[in-house]
Amino acid sequence: MTFRNTTRSWGALTKALHWIIVILIIVQFFIASRAHDLPRGPALIEAWGWHKSVGMTIFMLAIIRLVWRWMNPVPDLTAETRAWEHTLAKISHVLLYALIFAVPLTGWLMSSAKNFPVSWFSLFQWPDLIAPDRALSESMESAHKILVKVLVGVALLHAAGALKHHFIDKNNVLRRMLPFSRIK
Amino acid sequence: MTNYLAAMVAAAALFAGASQAATPAAGNPAAGNNGPRWVQAPAGGSLDFVFDQAGAASKGSFKQFTTELGYDEKSPATGSLSVKVQIGTVDTQDQERNEMLLGADLFDAQKFPTAQYSASSFSRSASGGLEAVGKLTLRGVTRDLRLPLKITRTAAGLELSGEAAIKRLDYGVGQGDWKTTEGVGDEVKIQYKVALVKAK
Repeated sequence: MTFRNTTRSWGALTKALHWIIVILIIVQFFIASRAHDLPRGPALIEAWGWHKSVGMTIFMLAIIRLVWRWMNPVPDLTAETRAWEHTLAKISHVLLYALIFAVPLTGWLMSSAKNFPVSWFSLFQWPDLIAPDRALSESMESAHKILVKVLVGVALLHAAGALKHHFIDKNNVLRRMLPFSRIK
Repeated sequence: MTNYLAAMVAAAALFAGASQAATPAAGNPAAGNNGPRWVQAPAGGSLDFVFDQAGAASKGSFKQFTTELGYDEKSPATGSLSVKVQIGTVDTQDQERNEMLLGADLFDAQKFPTAQYSASSFSRSASGGLEAVGKLTLRGVTRDLRLPLKITRTAAGLELSGEAAIKRLDYGVGQGDWKTTEGVGDEVKIQYKVALVKAK
């Protein structure tokens, strides 16, 4: 496995970014669902503090990931996929990239609009993107929740596609994103 | 939500002197004959507080408060200051948080609707600045508080500003679950600025 991508497989950095973001998104669900069970109080403040810190981490990793993608070759899917599969994969990849930016960004905007500024693990504070605005905070909150649902839907489709390639088509599409796997 | 606590503190903030020897008895330093009297101009001023909420500095303010200052430029030491804050006017730009701040565990605004800072003398701080020597009463707790002040002449009268930090828990702003400083920090910065005109 190389550090950079090749036309046959993803490199180590791309794989690491992919799987770390997957894990952090799952962590976000646990934090958010715990927060929804908490009464208003210091524990809830702490929970949202963690949620925002992890969310901003995903946001930063998304930037690195996109820049890295532009700097690297992308493994070619055409040999292993039918045209419709290829199109569907392309659309879902574009959506997933957009969503890993849009979900944290709407969360950040919502925090600014609510006057609940965002810290990164108490190490530093992100600037407020907009001035407090109740109506805007409500629309950002709706947008955040809707985009999360879209993200889950597209991610499940993405995972289903990868599993289909692996178990039904028996090709390398999934294997080339798996850590430590060798392409046959 | 952390802001609630902060808000309470903020009230105190007017007074925002930073030293806080715990002295129970409330003073009654209502301004005496300490030079010309000044009152808050109709345009008012601002009384903000900054608190730490989950690692992020967050801001709130009190919308209604009154200021009375006794101040003679020729003998600043004889000055007096009285600031009264309507706790119910706390605003953190979030309705839920405002309501929470006013609740029994934080400001308990129903029982303690006002906070007051009263100083009957001014002194020079170590750095040479003017400082009100007074007491802050917040949520029924009165403590000594030295409030650094800056008084400048303006066309219409005076501008009075001050900044200090207090600890919310010193004043009981944070009962029950809110006694922890996880989530919402203990220290609250108070930023006070007001335009004054000569009292009639």
